[in-house]
Amino acid sequence: MKTLAVIPAYNEEDCLEQTVRSLATACPEVDHLVVNDGSTDATQLICERCGFTHVNLPINCGLACGFQTGMKYALRHGYDAVVQFDADGQHLPEYIPTMGAAMEAQGADIVIASRVLAGERIEGARGAGSRLISTLIRLTSGVRLTDPTSGMRLYNRRMIELFAHGRDLTPEPDTVALIARRGGKVAEVPATMQERQGGQSYLDLPHVIRYMTRTCASILFFQWFR
Amino acid sequence: MSLTLRILCILGSAITFLVIASRVRKARVRIDDSVFWIVFSFALLVIAIFPNIPSFFARLFGFQATSNFVFLVVICVLLMREFSNTIKISTLNARLDELVQEQALQAMEEVDDDQQS
Repeated sequence: MKTLAVIPAYNEEDCLEQTVRSLATACPEVDHLVVNDGSTDATQLICERCGFTHVNLPINCGLACGFQTGMKYALRHGYDAVVQFDADGQHLPEYIPTMGAAMEAQGADIVIASRVLAGERIEGARGAGSRLISTLIRLTSGVRLTDPTSGMRLYNRRMIELFAHGRDLTPEPDTVALIARRGGKVAEVPATMQERQGGQSYLDLPHVIRYMTRTCASILFFQWFR
Repeated sequence: MSLTLRILCILGSAITFLVIASRVRKARVRIDDSVFWIVFSFALLVIAIFPNIPSFFARLFGFQATSNFVFLVVICVLLMREFSNTIKISTLNARLDELVQEQALQAMEEVDDDQQS
């Protein structure tokens, strides 16, 4: 299975190099594509200096747009699977082969790396948000996802085509729910994650409220007529 | 309709017209996009000069006061405008994303080709 790791990066100079190097060491068979989403720091310089495969978006256009760029690249270069991989070092590349094996064994369209299945309990507000989204997805699509907000997801060829051509498909839980409800197969494998190794988190209150409102509205209302 | 409201309508109409005209002159707004505001400004003027027109409709629909009717119409027109702007901005964003992605992927391939040759 020809797999591409799409690594969206917006101002990730702190840990991008380490993330891509550990990915290359742990999974030499997995290619990478750094999507430099209009970074204003040294992200582009690091990519050039280290010889990472990267694409520079001329402006910052957001995670969904950056990820879609990666999907278009994967489609045009004939990849069989794409793994969504954070630049901040949260995700451990060791789990990519496990996810690939699960995808092939179960014929899944999406495989999610689940912290909960690995026995971790997501604490605090983040955990509450995650459980709320889980509940909404179970109620609306009947699919049980233990860790819908996990950002480490493996997509098969069919999903690559869907994301590359689709409109408004964010690499977020609401899209997973939509795909599951439309008959796509979503699987989970246990995986641990690290704390972010550097850079800035965007999880401040206004962003969290916006994210939760958008995700809940999308799962509760919009997926019925999309 | 009170005299105050009529004067305010004329003032609003004049300011709208002057502001939009100056923006068009400086090429900050395209003529296409200014049409709405020109019509809006003209409508305010008509209402102020001929208050019988809104009064007639207000009575027809059973409003207690003409001013209520005028407010409702203005709010409705602006809401519809806001709605169509939201759709327009969404479309523009989608097209911008598309352009950004294509430009970036093409620039990337050009670099690859240069390195190969």
